[in-house]
Amino acid sequence: METLARLEETTLSIWLRESGPAFFGALTLHSLAMGFVVGINIAVALKLIGFVPRLEITAVARFFTFHWYGVAFIFISGIALLLAYPAKALTNPVFYFKLCALSIGLLISRHFQNKFAIQRKNTIDRRSIGLAYLCLALWIAVVTTGRFLAYTHTTLLASRFY
Amino acid sequence: MIEALLNFSQSTGIYSLMNSPWGWPLAESIHFFGLCLLIGTVGLFDLRMMGFVREIPLAQLHALIPFGVLGYLLNVTTGTLFLSTAPDQYLYNPAVQSKFFFMLIAGINMLLFYGTTAAAVESVGVKNHTLLRAKIMAGISLACWCAVIICGRLITYYRPPYHWCLWC
Repeated sequence: METLARLEETTLSIWLRESGPAFFGALTLHSLAMGFVVGINIAVALKLIGFVPRLEITAVARFFTFHWYGVAFIFISGIALLLAYPAKALTNPVFYFKLCALSIGLLISRHFQNKFAIQRKNTIDRRSIGLAYLCLALWIAVVTTGRFLAYTHTTLLASRFY
Repeated sequence: MIEALLNFSQSTGIYSLMNSPWGWPLAESIHFFGLCLLIGTVGLFDLRMMGFVREIPLAQLHALIPFGVLGYLLNVTTGTLFLSTAPDQYLYNPAVQSKFFFMLIAGINMLLFYGTTAAAVESVGVKNHTLLRAKIMAGISLACWCAVIICGRLITYYRPPYHWCLWC
């Protein structure tokens, strides 16, 4: 807790927390990037599950290039939000659940991009369908835990303990 | 108006549901998931129309649009839950008014697209560019949905609105 208290007393953390545009900018960027990243993953999963038979998987998987730009923005804005209120997230188990779901979701995205956009395999096997269901569940979990972070934290600022 | 919405919310059980421990965050999660669905379908279609990822024929991507409509319906449903539970927080909030404005522009833009341009765009194949007016409409659509997300964040972040509202 002491480390978190020190972290939130750094100039950068105070600026991110107290400057309206900085915090709002990070929050908005995070939401926009999440919208694109989750959206692209849902589109690919819907195709793999079989809801959009007309769509070619090798074609839609090309959007993964955009997806990684979105992921970069998620991490930049996510780190900014984390620096603004480090204790709020780091003392909340929901945050770690979100991080795990996000990491596994991104590994599956990388696998899909490699298989369908880079190697251009056109056949959808049972494993890919299973992974698509898992991918959908993981992104729903990421969105849900992201929202619940605002409601489940027990500590907002670590410095109030010192 | 506020009273009518509150009465509706209380008589239908929405008020109790939304004021239960997990009602509000759960509705928010569904609301954001609906937006992701919209961006992942209509957003991708817009990007392709603007000239990105031209390896995909537009007709193929159009098959995703019904899921965008589903996302929109999820948003309207959960949006109604928020609005009817706390109408005083929403009706006079300039972020909500701006959000509705951008949704209206997106709606008009979509009607114009299907009325004037969709038929010409349907046949656009791999590597082909769309008409300039289709690109402009796609740009407007994408910008409007991004603005809807930004205004959505403004609703809860900048409250009360008189600190930043230009017309309050």
